[in-house]
Amino acid sequence: MILLKPGLYLITSFIALLVLAVPFFLVQASAPFWASAGIKVLTGTEWFPYEMLFGMLPAIIGSTWAILIALFIAIPCGVATAIVTTELVSSSLASATRMGMEVLAAIPSIVYGLIGLWLLLPLLQSSFDLLSGHSLLAAGLILALMILPLITLMSMDALRLVSNTQREAGMSLGLSWEALLFRVLLPQAWPAIRGGILLAMGRALGETMAVMLVVGSLDRMPEPIMNILQPAQTLTSRIGREIGEAAFGSIHFSALMACGLLLALIGLSISLFAHTRVVKA
Amino acid sequence: MKHKNILSIIACAIAAVISITPIYAHETLHAMGSTTVMPVVSEAATAFYKAHPDISITVSGGGSGVGIAAMIQHTAQIGMASRNTSPEEQAKLNEWVDNIVIARDAVAVVVSKEVYLGGVTHLSLAQIARIYRGQITNWKQLGGPDAQILAIDKEASRGTRHVFAEAVLGNAHARAPGASLISGSNNEEQAIVARSHQAIGMLSNAWLNDRVRGIAIDMDGVAISPTLEQIRNGHYPISRGLHILIAKDASPAARAFVQFLLSEKGQGIVKKVGYLPIH
Amino acid sequence: MMFWKVLKQYRVKGLLILISLPALVLPTICLVYILWQGLPVLNWQTLSGEGVTGFGLEHGMFGQIWGSLLLMLGANVLAAPVALGLALFFNLYANHNTQRTIFTLLHLLQSIPPIVYGLFGLFVFVHLLHLGISLLAGMIILAMIILPLLVLNALHALKAISVEQTESARSLGLNDMQLICRVWAPLAWPTMLTGQLLGMARALSETAPILFTATVFSGVLWPSSIFEPVTTLQTHIFYLAQEGGNAHVVSIAWGAATLLITLVLLFSLTALLLRRIDQHHRIS
Repeated sequence: MILLKPGLYLITSFIALLVLAVPFFLVQASAPFWASAGIKVLTGTEWFPYEMLFGMLPAIIGSTWAILIALFIAIPCGVATAIVTTELVSSSLASATRMGMEVLAAIPSIVYGLIGLWLLLPLLQSSFDLLSGHSLLAAGLILALMILPLITLMSMDALRLVSNTQREAGMSLGLSWEALLFRVLLPQAWPAIRGGILLAMGRALGETMAVMLVVGSLDRMPEPIMNILQPAQTLTSRIGREIGEAAFGSIHFSALMACGLLLALIGLSISLFAHTRVVKA
Repeated sequence: MKHKNILSIIACAIAAVISITPIYAHETLHAMGSTTVMPVVSEAATAFYKAHPDISITVSGGGSGVGIAAMIQHTAQIGMASRNTSPEEQAKLNEWVDNIVIARDAVAVVVSKEVYLGGVTHLSLAQIARIYRGQITNWKQLGGPDAQILAIDKEASRGTRHVFAEAVLGNAHARAPGASLISGSNNEEQAIVARSHQAIGMLSNAWLNDRVRGIAIDMDGVAISPTLEQIRNGHYPISRGLHILIAKDASPAARAFVQFLLSEKGQGIVKKVGYLPIH
Repeated sequence: MMFWKVLKQYRVKGLLILISLPALVLPTICLVYILWQGLPVLNWQTLSGEGVTGFGLEHGMFGQIWGSLLLMLGANVLAAPVALGLALFFNLYANHNTQRTIFTLLHLLQSIPPIVYGLFGLFVFVHLLHLGISLLAGMIILAMIILPLLVLNALHALKAISVEQTESARSLGLNDMQLICRVWAPLAWPTMLTGQLLGMARALSETAPILFTATVFSGVLWPSSIFEPVTTLQTHIFYLAQEGGNAHVVSIAWGAATLLITLVLLFSLTALLLRRIDQHHRIS
């Protein structure tokens, strides 16, 4: 009984330690790389580990594109679905949609990879007349499918939390359904929807297996920079592809750890951003 | 006394995890490295396990570089490599590791079926080099169908890539600016070539099939196909030994496994997978 | 004219329904496609590998199933006490500022991508601590990944208990341990269990973090200790997915995917069902 309090303190400090340990060891593991290559690799465009060239920019651009494509598709679709299911249709259809989204969210990422590889790529290959279908577009589409449930479910929750008194007040003012939606419901629900979007962004950033199977792993800048139909590389797919073959202790290994550190930092800053906005609101 | 129940549940759970720890003597060997050697070792490991249930052998890929690195770092007992060790690697292995060739194999230059049937059945090394350098971009320039060339490169640490790039581009780590896709394992590359209509790639001889055709290499005006016959007599220019690395003081079990690979039965598996037995 | 009027009146609704169509049909399409591809190949022969030869198929799938389940169980056994401990600390001893800090920390932990935990584990457990590529390394990494989920769920469970119940228990003179066991545990366990099941589903679906820290391609039926690597369904699908020339191997990958999804849905749907029952219970 006496042990309860110190035990709980111990566990809590253990977790606090863990939060510090992850960045600490990533910094330690990638230190040889930063020391030898310097911060300028962030804008380098050539990644040839055997020539000691470790330009990170192609993968950073690739990750950015993939996330943007995914958000561009998933945000309208997810929010629209939430509006339709909570405001327009019967509650049984709404709960069916919720169920469907929960199933979609439960499908493991490697299975999405399988779908991407054997369903999406041939489809893209034939419809855009591509060499193989491996492309940033494919990665973006698969990511969109993966984050759609997250955005939809969070938006549904957000819209349902808008109180009925506000709906009724809006209606008694004679607002049309559209005006009610755009002036009352969406502004009220927006902070929570934004939270869902940021969460989805983090998820898309860190997704590895599905992206790695469809993106093509070509470490080169897209040419032109808007070209999303070419094979490319993301930070996660580069780690997934190369970590198994980089010898522990080599600069290559530590360069991949640096990619991980970069991912962690971006993820953490997205989360911090979301957190501070929520706290302010 | 509910908390006693909770405690006992936790205790049971911990006991369950610990109970996975072995009660009987059992040896596990780890084989790691080239995906080219992996099918042989994987299948041999299964056959070996049936004869020696007390020895299990785990097999994982990663590439020749990983296999050699794993030996240097003592994380695997059996290294698999589909290329010769580099001088730096050899310096670290010289004293204590045996390098045993268990099979021979050719790196075939493969093209999609449509390209092959379209007329590109043989190329010179110089032509292939120009494709990978980005100087030839359409199959029409080589007498084939009017289609853009999809040149597939492999990840830098792959043994197949070392052997191919050394023979074709002159340097194991030469860049290939003409490549527009990077693949990892042999499986993956085979899949991409099979699905495409305009691809060229590098694959071990054992992975050819109807959709993935190996083309002949022009050597002094003679076209030499990547057949077992041409590999055996040494005419085919891009060939290599498949290596097993094992410590000189390895356990009897590891030794027995290597002996098994070299035995008639083991070499039968080599042949079945599609490589050339050493005798 | 009538047509245009109707169109104008319903254009926003129509547009919304049009945009939301993918979300309404995609879940069914995905699931049906996977089952359509995977169910036909699931039979005793592909599961046991008896009489089968070929790349990665000769071992069947039992080894992979055990591997996945062992990793999942290990991760949950490791993470559950820590999560519970933190949730109790949060409710018993933390003041307002500490509570806010813990919340922030949990959200930060959750925002680190799984593959980064994989890299961390590879560096610290596999190499620095010399665990090697092993079941234990995979368990710890997965435990770290599901930890925030479990803690947040446990906090949610304890938060749902009304302050009056806690305070009336206190006024009866119950100490911390008695409060936990007699008041909180009976009220919070359904939600706790829900979280644990969701943690299991999550641990089963992660692939990237264990690909290079806990698994090998083949050769393990049942790991002889937690310091040995395993084979898992997730990584098995990954290896088979890339084997394209042979249509049979790809169909086996779909079979493995069907198995994996069945396992994951078993846990997550049970969790959702439990949550729904619990909510019902509370309202009535």
